Amino acid sequence: MFKYSIIKMFRSIGGLFWMFVFPLVLMTAMHFAFDSIYSYQNSIDPMKTILITEGQGVYQEGFEDLIESLSEEGSEDQLFILEEADSLEDAKAKLAGEEAEIIFVVSDGDVEVYLQENHSITSAAVAGSIADTYKQRYQLIADAWEQDPAFAMELVNNAVENVTYTVSEEDAFGAEPNPYNWYFLSTLVMGILFMAMMGINMVGDLRADVSAVAMRYSVSPARKGQMVVTAFAARVIPGLVIVAIQLMVMKYVFGIYLGNDYLKLALFVVSAVMFAISFGVICGLCFKGNVTQRGNKATSLIMISVFLSGEMISQLPGLFERYFPIFNKINPATVLNMALFKLTIGNSAEGFFMNIAEIIGLTVVFLAIGIAVLRREKYASV
Amino acid sequence: MAEILKVKGLVKRYKELIAIDHLDMSIREGEIFGLLGPNGSGKSTTINCILSLLEYDKGEIEIFGKPMSPKAYEIKRQIGIVPQDVAVYDALTVYENIDFFCGLYIKDKETRKKYVQEAIDFVALNDFVKFKPGKLSGGLKRRLNIACGIAHKPKLVFFDEPTVAVDPQSRNKILEGIEQLRQNGATIIYTSHYMEEVEQLCDRILIIDKGHTIAEGTVDELKGMIKKSEIITIEVAGLDDETLSMVREVKNVYSVSYENNQLKVEAGSGKHNVIDIVNLLQDKGYKMKKIFSEQPTLNDVFLELTGKQLRDE
Repeated sequence: MFKYSIIKMFRSIGGLFWMFVFPLVLMTAMHFAFDSIYSYQNSIDPMKTILITEGQGVYQEGFEDLIESLSEEGSEDQLFILEEADSLEDAKAKLAGEEAEIIFVVSDGDVEVYLQENHSITSAAVAGSIADTYKQRYQLIADAWEQDPAFAMELVNNAVENVTYTVSEEDAFGAEPNPYNWYFLSTLVMGILFMAMMGINMVGDLRADVSAVAMRYSVSPARKGQMVVTAFAARVIPGLVIVAIQLMVMKYVFGIYLGNDYLKLALFVVSAVMFAISFGVICGLCFKGNVTQRGNKATSLIMISVFLSGEMISQLPGLFERYFPIFNKINPATVLNMALFKLTIGNSAEGFFMNIAEIIGLTVVFLAIGIAVLRREKYASV
Repeated sequence: MAEILKVKGLVKRYKELIAIDHLDMSIREGEIFGLLGPNGSGKSTTINCILSLLEYDKGEIEIFGKPMSPKAYEIKRQIGIVPQDVAVYDALTVYENIDFFCGLYIKDKETRKKYVQEAIDFVALNDFVKFKPGKLSGGLKRRLNIACGIAHKPKLVFFDEPTVAVDPQSRNKILEGIEQLRQNGATIIYTSHYMEEVEQLCDRILIIDKGHTIAEGTVDELKGMIKKSEIITIEVAGLDDETLSMVREVKNVYSVSYENNQLKVEAGSGKHNVIDIVNLLQDKGYKMKKIFSEQPTLNDVFLELTGKQLRDE
């Protein structure tokens, strides 16, 4: 029974699609989409820039320092190549002659930007962003200086540390928390949750009032308790194999950072797969209809659960946390997402174990109910 | 012959509805026992109660002389079931399906391999062992359904409407197979609403309707329970009223009609009904072209006992 149950799982095209293929296809699509963002950001070539300073003061000096730091030859952050000009008119002539792409004119309290007539979107975005950010931060620091010089110094230091206009691919898919990792992890969780289909399938196999196949089981001398345990184990193993493959693809093909603690990751995977299957058993027992109808209802429920956990809009769990926190606690996709996110990005062992405890607790409850009902030998109606 | 299955006073209720009402059954070793009734008459419910799949409200069920219960594993070991719906896995091949279900009964691999092959031979699916059920025709699927139910060589086999939606050729093969199983020593309980099959196959028949026993006995015994036993149709021209009156006076005749040169006579049980009527017409100088005699069917039995048709489709 065990052998054929496993064969059945691996031959189930519908199940494999939702659990295995669909998440990988989605990840591949996301990889290409996000990869191009980083390629684009990393492909910004340093732009020939002229800096004109009008007057002397702290404001002008600060801006000069910033532009010089972003023009440092050989630096990863280099955005500009500084060109000389005698005056603004000379600079404008060079701009017209395409000898320069950007002109910054810094005066006391203001930064003006001049671009070529047929300027690129990149040069406009970068120049505009730098000028605006400087103006806003300077104003903030100047205001703070009047109120609290110590706090103003802190802002100055932070401003220096946080001046980052590009994000390297390594950072984005590596150790730095970012929304893109969330989408990949969330997709993995979605695939795991679709393993609930195996739980529904288990109900179909074992309840004589749900399927004719189950009638054969019930009439046979095989012990129901044993059958339930075997059926569960025969579904957990394919589940673990599928997640293991997905994790390897995520790590080695898409370069997703999965944390350093593989023991905890294994704990998460085992708990999550068992949770998903036991969740499917409960869905299978609660929903009405034949196995397919029960499966369709569960698919809808899982999709809603995954959507509300932030698969499409990563801000959703935050919104629920603010206005309706209990929802995040009872949404299975969010519970699984948070555990994985805390493990791989949040670096919070305590938070991770809290989520794992919740997952294991729910799994035990679901399994206890499932086994109690499924091992029944007789039914009220067939 | 030993009594294999005994059901006494079985009652099953679904809230207000009484699905089975004090049903008694006794099945002897080696016989094919037919459970006949229209759709919804309680045939499947009876089978499910016997197999301990359903809780019942009252009654006793004994199989092989022992009380049947969900935990009567030794009894279950000797039972096979061929459900009404084709109960196989689409993801497994023909061979794997039979092996899988046989494995619920037979743990020894070598024995199981032998039994599975014998089951495949029995239902003649040798050319399809590597096919998945989705690739099989309706008739072949039914044969696979049977193979999965009988591979472990049960002593008592339940066939729950195994020929529903099956073409005539496959139906005949299935019926031949069931007869073969009996010859191999199995006792068969066969439920159907196809009276011809039951009449052809079964040694004894229990007719039920709305959970009630309508009649029980052999085919001849059941037919003997009704007044009408024969319909005689004779093509003859120009019959006068006097002759028709004389036909009505013939022994066992209880209904006579004459239209479009067709004389139709309904007669009760009697060996010489046709001869008596033909002799009478010859004596009166009539020339007869065609003579038919139809025996009553189980549908006639059901119709006369319940006032409605057995087949509702």
